[in-house]
Amino acid sequence: MPGAISVAAFSASMLVMVAPSAASAADADHGKVVFQNCAACHTDKPGAIGPSLRGVVGRKSGSVDGFHYSDAMKRANLIWDETNLHDYLKDPQAKVRGNRMPFGGVNNPKDLDDLIAYLKDYK
Amino acid sequence: MVTRLKDVDAVTVGFGWTGAILARELTKAGLNVVGLERGPDRVPGEDFILPSVRDEVRYAQRLELMMDNSIDTITFRNFPNEQALPIRRIGAFLPGEGTGGSGIHWGALLWRNLPSDFRIRSALTERYGKNAVPDDMTIQDWPVSYDDLEPHYDRFDKLCGASGQAGNLRGKKIDGGNVFEGARNDHYPNAPIKSSNAGLMYGAAAKSLGYHPFPAPVAIASAAYTNPENVTLGACEYCGYCNRVACETNSKASANSTILPVLRLDPKFELRSRCFVTKLNYDKAAKRVVSVTYTDMRNGEEYEQPAGVVILSSFVFGNVQHLLLSGIGEPYNHDSGKGLVGKNYAYQYEAGASAFFEDKELNPYWGSAGMGVVIDDFNGENFDHGGLGFFGGGYIACNTAGAPPIAGRTVPHGTPEWGSDWKRATVKWYHHAARFNTQGSVYANRNNYMDLDPTYKDVFGRPLVRLSYNPPDNEYNMSRFLQTKLEGVIKAMNPTHYDMHPRPKTFTVVPYQSTHNTGGTMMGADPKSSVVNRYLQSWDAHNLFVQGASVFPQQHGYNPTGTVGALAYWSALAITTKYLKNPGPLVQA
Repeated sequence: MPGAISVAAFSASMLVMVAPSAASAADADHGKVVFQNCAACHTDKPGAIGPSLRGVVGRKSGSVDGFHYSDAMKRANLIWDETNLHDYLKDPQAKVRGNRMPFGGVNNPKDLDDLIAYLKDYK
Repeated sequence: MVTRLKDVDAVTVGFGWTGAILARELTKAGLNVVGLERGPDRVPGEDFILPSVRDEVRYAQRLELMMDNSIDTITFRNFPNEQALPIRRIGAFLPGEGTGGSGIHWGALLWRNLPSDFRIRSALTERYGKNAVPDDMTIQDWPVSYDDLEPHYDRFDKLCGASGQAGNLRGKKIDGGNVFEGARNDHYPNAPIKSSNAGLMYGAAAKSLGYHPFPAPVAIASAAYTNPENVTLGACEYCGYCNRVACETNSKASANSTILPVLRLDPKFELRSRCFVTKLNYDKAAKRVVSVTYTDMRNGEEYEQPAGVVILSSFVFGNVQHLLLSGIGEPYNHDSGKGLVGKNYAYQYEAGASAFFEDKELNPYWGSAGMGVVIDDFNGENFDHGGLGFFGGGYIACNTAGAPPIAGRTVPHGTPEWGSDWKRATVKWYHHAARFNTQGSVYANRNNYMDLDPTYKDVFGRPLVRLSYNPPDNEYNMSRFLQTKLEGVIKAMNPTHYDMHPRPKTFTVVPYQSTHNTGGTMMGADPKSSVVNRYLQSWDAHNLFVQGASVFPQQHGYNPTGTVGALAYWSALAITTKYLKNPGPLVQA
């Protein structure tokens, strides 16, 4: 049922765009489970492959000190608000073409909302 | 002038898998540990990242992660009556350099030996008669059993976030796993990685012939996984750029991705990279290694580092060279057969095949290190060798670890090696080629060994290790047998065309064949037949623990790293629970 999936994805993104407060219905506890997929690289331990995501919501893109960002991410000039995070995490290469994060994106819209809900509290 | 440094509790000579495991276990026991590594420090956030890790020229062809032959190498000859010559650019095998060692660029196949492998001389004698083992086949029982090591194999599985299907869980056989394996106490921490089209076709064909196919066990996380060190490993993305390079998603396990993130925060641990250990300073009367001498490769300064416990954790050739240069143990003498250091060298005897399926889309570009479907029906004592004229065996696999742009262009035999015909053939066959391998055992032979070269020296003026090796007839016959079994499965897959790639009778140091070198400091039950005891403790220096595949008495039909990891945990447990309380020999000679 590819049609059903795209409708669901569409409505989920509409929710986020139109009414950010609706995201509070998202499940941050489940978002923490989804975050395991990110945590292999986005860790606070030394030698991490990705930048720390603590406090990422509201942060300027490419702004973690000492992290070697790709040129694409240096130029992106985004604020990681919910809308931008949503678009980026859904399809990283579509949002910031040429960035070097080896991750294809979060396909399940519910997972994506929950993940963003978790990131809002991840400080 | 050599600067003498402050004493530390323990030092590791080399910092790959075993150096990291021992450093972690010893710091947890309260020791201050210095890790000495001859190569550079390799940090995932700097060195394992896109886009550079996909640079096949830099890593797979120019071998950036491998030992630097401008500093040292080994010399090689096929037979003891020949003049050995230095290998000026490594080829057949690729020892790694830098933190993580060969455990960064490895293929991540994570195997356990069979229970019968650990008592192979006894097993062959019981099954085939007292005189069955030929005189020149110098195999020995291991001084540990499969059951001794099982908890430690399990620990290493969990550290690595291994993916696979159990075939024997606490004695219960499970269809779809390796039904020949020793009993496992637990499942793999992750479900098997995916199988490619070619792997599925191979599995179906093998099954139709009555064999027992299963997905190859790998040290790659098939899903996001947090290991017992509380380090999270990423899910494999099947990018297909795995061999000879680091992993960009922390899915393929390395010391760098599984242990070092914790060790780097530990104040009891200090890593010194680009520090090349040139000597173990041995007090023969006291039976201990007092200190190690190393050169800081950045400025040429020499240092002496005294240590209470010395972990010798370099590659096989380095371990043997250190013992020979330091006068620890008796060097093996080929003429007399006496002496043990350097004896029982073995080199995995692999031989492959390729098959082409004109009408099948195999999508070879996606893959994962070690990804493949395997049968183990013709390994070790899983089958009867009566009347076959050889001992040993190996697993037989369809490997689909990706087909990157340079190395992944399999074409039929007879295709020109360059030019427009070659180009046309690579375009025609890229999507339709499958590759196979047989992972043969090597039962030690008295003519295969390591000693010090009388002529050639490294950059420090130390004699190089001299390797004398040629596959004995036993291994040649074993490999031919595995090839006929593989050919049977390939025929059942109904290919358009196929080529078998048997190994020649004479070994050459190019092209790449396998990095599975073992032996030279073998472990055993007593000092008359071994260099280290069952806890990997030197019989001649009680504070020296020799790690890695150099302690294998012979090589079985599996990749060695699973057993190397298990032995490291087993040895670490003996040091922390027995040796530290009462420093001295853990086994009375």
